Amino acid sequence: MRRLVALLFGLLLVLTASLPARAKDDLVIGITQFPSTLHPNLDSMMAKTYVLAMTTRPLTAFNAKWQLVCMLCERLPSFDNGQAKREKTPDGKPGVALTFTLRPDLFWGDGVPVTTQDVLFTWEMGKHPQSGVANGEMYRRILAIDVQDDKTFTLHLDRLTFDYNVMNGLTPIPAHLERAAFLADPAQYRVRNGYDQKPAQPGLYNGPYVITQVVAGSHLVLEPNRFWKGSQPAFKRLVVRSVENTAALEAQLLSGGIDMIAGELGLPLEQALALEKRADPRFRIVTKSGLVFEHVDVNLDSPILSDRTLRQALMYGLDRQSMNRQLFDGRQPVADSSVNPLDGIYAADVPKYSYDPAKAAKMLDDAGWKMAGGLRRNAQGQALTLELMTTAGNRSRELVSQVIQAQWRKLGIDVRLKAEAPRVFFAETVTKRRFAHLALYAWISAPESVPRTTLHSTQIPTEANAWAGQNNPGYANPVMDTLLDNIETELDVPERRQLWRQLQHLYATDLPALPLFFRADSYVLPRQLEGLEPTGHQDPSTLWVENWRWRP
Amino acid sequence: MTGWLTSRLLQSLAVLLVMSVAVHGLMALMPGDPIDLMIASDPHLNAADAIRLKALYGLDKPWGERYLAWAGQVMRGELGYSRLFAKPVLQIMGPAIANSLTLMGTALILSLLAALPLGILASRHQGGWADHLVNAISFASVSLPTFWLGLMLMVLFSVKLGWLPAGGMQSLTGDGGGVLDSLRHMALPVATLAIAGIGQYARHTRAAMLNEAAQDYIRTAKAKGCTPRRLVWRHQFRNALLPLVTLLGLEFGNLFSGALITETVFGWPGMGKLIADSVMGNDFNLALTALMLATAMTLLGSVLADLTMARLDPRIKYR
Amino acid sequence: MIKPRDLPALVGAVLLVFLAFATLSAPWLAADPEAMNLAAIHAAPSLSHPLGTDELGRDVAARLLNGGRVSLAVALSTALLAAILGTAIGLVAGYRGGWVDAALMRMTDGVMALPLLPLLIVLAALDPAKLGIGDEARSSEIFMVGRMVVIIALVGWTGAARLVRAQTLSVKTRDYVRAATALGATPGRIMVRHILPNVASPMVVAATLSVGNIILVESALSFLGLGVQPPMASWGNMLTGAMNVIWSAPDQALWPGLAIFVTVLAFNLAGDGLQRALDPRR
Repeated sequence: MRRLVALLFGLLLVLTASLPARAKDDLVIGITQFPSTLHPNLDSMMAKTYVLAMTTRPLTAFNAKWQLVCMLCERLPSFDNGQAKREKTPDGKPGVALTFTLRPDLFWGDGVPVTTQDVLFTWEMGKHPQSGVANGEMYRRILAIDVQDDKTFTLHLDRLTFDYNVMNGLTPIPAHLERAAFLADPAQYRVRNGYDQKPAQPGLYNGPYVITQVVAGSHLVLEPNRFWKGSQPAFKRLVVRSVENTAALEAQLLSGGIDMIAGELGLPLEQALALEKRADPRFRIVTKSGLVFEHVDVNLDSPILSDRTLRQALMYGLDRQSMNRQLFDGRQPVADSSVNPLDGIYAADVPKYSYDPAKAAKMLDDAGWKMAGGLRRNAQGQALTLELMTTAGNRSRELVSQVIQAQWRKLGIDVRLKAEAPRVFFAETVTKRRFAHLALYAWISAPESVPRTTLHSTQIPTEANAWAGQNNPGYANPVMDTLLDNIETELDVPERRQLWRQLQHLYATDLPALPLFFRADSYVLPRQLEGLEPTGHQDPSTLWVENWRWRP
Repeated sequence: MTGWLTSRLLQSLAVLLVMSVAVHGLMALMPGDPIDLMIASDPHLNAADAIRLKALYGLDKPWGERYLAWAGQVMRGELGYSRLFAKPVLQIMGPAIANSLTLMGTALILSLLAALPLGILASRHQGGWADHLVNAISFASVSLPTFWLGLMLMVLFSVKLGWLPAGGMQSLTGDGGGVLDSLRHMALPVATLAIAGIGQYARHTRAAMLNEAAQDYIRTAKAKGCTPRRLVWRHQFRNALLPLVTLLGLEFGNLFSGALITETVFGWPGMGKLIADSVMGNDFNLALTALMLATAMTLLGSVLADLTMARLDPRIKYR
Repeated sequence: MIKPRDLPALVGAVLLVFLAFATLSAPWLAADPEAMNLAAIHAAPSLSHPLGTDELGRDVAARLLNGGRVSLAVALSTALLAAILGTAIGLVAGYRGGWVDAALMRMTDGVMALPLLPLLIVLAALDPAKLGIGDEARSSEIFMVGRMVVIIALVGWTGAARLVRAQTLSVKTRDYVRAATALGATPGRIMVRHILPNVASPMVVAATLSVGNIILVESALSFLGLGVQPPMASWGNMLTGAMNVIWSAPDQALWPGLAIFVTVLAFNLAGDGLQRALDPRR
C-alpha cells in the first residue's frame, strides 16, 4: 500500500513537471471546427477554406483592403489592359474572354510546375455531372478554355458582368496526380481523391505550405513547400488544432497548448472581450468587423409582417446602438442595409433607423395595432405575437434575441423565442421557409457581391426548385429584380454606384430583412506575431500566411 | 452450454437487426438531408445542383430502399465511405476506438483501483466514520455534472497552476509526442471520468460485500477460525465480485461508445465525439456502423458477464 | 431519536423540502428573472442582486430559483413518465410471459444497449413536423419543455421495466394472485389490484434515485445545445452560458453548478434513505 502511494506521488510529480520550452519556429493555431474533406473544389466549409488557403491558392482573391488581386496569375485581366475582350456567346448573348497568365514561379510541392493543364483539368472535373462538386455555378459559367501555352489560357464566360474578372472560386488541382483517379471513376472521385485518401502528398499543394499530417477530429500539421518561390514563410511548422468548445479553446490558449485563435473560426466576441479586459500580457486581441451580416429574416408571407409600416416600426423599436455599445463594446457596427459602410459602394444617405420608441408606437397605432392591457391587438382582437427563431448554441445570437424580445415587449409586442440546433435551423426551418415570422442569422459575402441569391424573386426556395436559392423572406419586388439584373451587367463604375445606392434605399425602406450588425471577428494573437491582416470577408487571412512572422 | 450461448448470440443478432432499422429510421426522421445543409451554406447552389447531388448521394430514393441498400452493402462486408470525412468508415473509426479505449479503459481501471478498497473499507466498518466518509465520497462523485467537473479541473490544473495541458492528446510543438507527454495529456480527462466513476463502484462494492457478510458460509468460516484478512479477501470479496462483473459487462459496451462530454471538453478525438458528429452531420454509413458496434459490444458484454458468472459461481449453470 | 445512519437521508429530505419551497416561492422571493439591465452586466453581488447579475444584467439569484423550477419540473415529470412507461412494460412482460415477455425484454435490451447521448441527440433533433405535429403546437413553451421530458423518458424507462418485471414474476406465483385468477378476475384487474401494489415501493425508490440522473442528463443536453432554450432559465443552460465567461466571471458557473450538485445529492440521499426504510429485509 505504502509503495503504491509513493508510486502515485512519483507519477504525479513527473506528470506535473513544467512544460518544455517552446521552439520559436512553430505556431499552433486554434479553430473551432475540423475540416471534413480537404478537396478544394468539392464543397465549401469555413474550416477547410481557412486551412487550404495556406496550401492551395485560387486564381484571384480579395485582399485585406477589399481589392481584387491576383494569387496565381500575373495580372488581372481588364478591358484597359486588353486581357479582357467582349464577345458573343454561341447563343448570341454578351460574353467575355479573359486571358490569364500563371506566374512562372509556381510549383506543386513535388517540384512539378503549375500549368494550364491543371486549370483545364480542374474545369473538366468541376463541370462533370458526377464529380460531386456541390456548387457547379462557376464551372458552368466557363463555356470554353483555350490553352495558349503552358502558362497562358483564355476563359470564355457565358455572361458579361461587372465582376467578370473575379475568379476566386477557381482553385487549380494537380492534373499529374489527380487526373487518373478522376477518369477511373468520376462518380467515386468525391471519396477516392488524393486530398482525402492521401492528404500528405506534397504534390497536391502549390502554396507556401504543404499538409504533412492529418489527425481526424484533432489537428493538421503543415510544413513549408520546398518549391515555393514567393516570400518565404517564417514558421517551420504550423499546426491547426480544432477545439469545438470555446471555453476549452480558451483554456488551451491560456495554458499554452495553442498560440493563437483564428478570428475566422474562433471565440465569440463577448468571450474575446472578456479576455481582453483581463489584459493578459501574452496576447493581443484584434477585432475586425466585416461582411458577416447579422440580420433578422422576415417571413413576408405572414399576414402581420407583410405590412411594411409594421416592419419599419419594428426597426424604430430596436435599440441596436446601445446593444452594440453594451454587449459588444462598440465593436460591432450597426447595419443600415446589407451593404457594409467599408464597402466602396456604400451609400451614406441610406435611411437609418435610430431608436425611437415613440415613433414606433405611433406607427403601430396607425397600422391598426392598438395597445390594450400591455399588449397590442388589431381590430379583430388578434394579439401582435411574433416568433423569433435563431440557432441554438450561438451565444451572441441567443443574447441579442433576448434583448430584442425585451425591447419589443416594451412596445406591446409579444415575442416568443425559439432556438433550434443549427442543422435543423439551416437545413429545414430557414431554407424551407418554415419559420412563422422572424429568423435571426448571418450571411458572409465578398466585397461588392450582388445579393441576387437573397433578394431576387427567382431565388425564393420552393419545393419545385428543390429548395435552392436563399431568398428566404420570399421577397418579390420587380424594381429590386431589375436593379439586381442591371447592377450585374453595368460596367461603368459611377453608373453602378448609382444603382447600388437605389438598391440600398429600397432595401432599407422595404425591409425584406431587418438589418442588425456587421459581425466583428476577434483574433487572439501572440503579442509578438505580426503580419496577420484580418480581411473581414470570406477570403481568410491565411491567404497571406507567408507574411506572418515574429516581431524581431 | 453451447446451446445456451448460440441462442443468446442469435437473440443478440435479432436485437441488432431491429435496432439498425430503428436507428436508420430515426436518422431519416431528422430534419434536412446533407444536401439541404449544403444549400444552406452555399448561396450559389441552384436547383440543378440540388437535384444532381441528391441523385449522386442516393437521397432521392424512399427510405426503405435506402435502408435495404445500406444493409445489403454491410452484408457484403462493405461499410462504405464516411460522407463527412470522405474516408472509408473503418479508417475513421479505428483510431477513434483506440483513443476511447485508452481514455475510458484507464479511467475504469483507476476508478476500480480506488473504489474497491473504499467499498471494502466501508463494509468492514459499517456505520463507522470510514463508512460515512466513503458514503460521502460516493454520493459526491455520482452527483457531479461531468462537464462542470472537467472544466473546473482544467481551470485549476491547466490555467491557474499550469501543471497539466488543457486538452488534446499530445503536445503539437517542440519535442512533444513521447510517452510522458501522452500521459500528461491523459491526466485530466482520465481524472474526470475516474472521479465520476468511483462513487458507483464503491457503493456497489460495499453493498455486495455486506450482502456476502450476511451469508451462512462466512459465519461458518469465522467459526472455523479463519483470519479476518483471509475471510475478507478469500471468501467475501470473491463472491462479491459476481454482481460487479455484471456491472462491468454493461460498462464494456460503453468503452466503445465513448465519453461524449469529456471528449468534447478536452478535445479528445474518440468515439463519443465521432458518433455525435456523424449523427448530426447525417453521415449514415459512419453513424450506423459506430452505433451498431457500440450496441453489439454492450450485448456481447452482457453475454460475457454471464459466462464469467458461470465460471466464478458453481451454483450457476446455463443450458 | 435519529440514528446516525439515517442522518444522510434526513439531510437529503430537508434539502429537498428547502429546494421545493425556494423554487416554488421564487416569484415572491426574487426579482423578475427576465428583467434586463444592459448597463449592469456581470455586476458583483450587492444588496439588490445577492448573487450578482449575468451577461444581460439579469439577477442571478432570481434566475437560479426560476431555473430550478424548470429543472425540477423537467426532472420530476420525466422520472414519473419513465416510471409509468417502465412499470407498464414490465408488468405486461412479467405477467403475460411467453413471446410477449421475450419481445418486450429484447426491446429493453436493445434500448439499454444503445449509447444514451447520441440517441438523445437523434431524438432531440427529430422533426416534429415530420411526425404530424402542427406549427401552432410546436411553438408553445409547454411543448418545448414537454419535448425534453418525453425524449429523456423514452430512453430512461428500461431500468424500471426490468425491475418491475422481476417483481411481477415473483409476485404472480403467490397464492392470492392465483386465487384471484381462479375467481375469474381479468388480467388487467389482477395487474392493477394485486401486482402493482407489490411493485410500488421499489419503483418509488428507483424513480427518486433517477431524478438526480435526469437533472445531470438535462444539463449535459444543454451543454450540447439541445436542452431547455433561453430565455427560459434552467440550471443546465445557465451553466452552459456561464462556461463561455468562466475565465472572467467564474462565480457565474459556480452557482448553477452548485445547485445541480446539491439537488442531485439531495435526491440520491433521499432515495437511498427511502430504499432502506422500505427494504423488507431490514
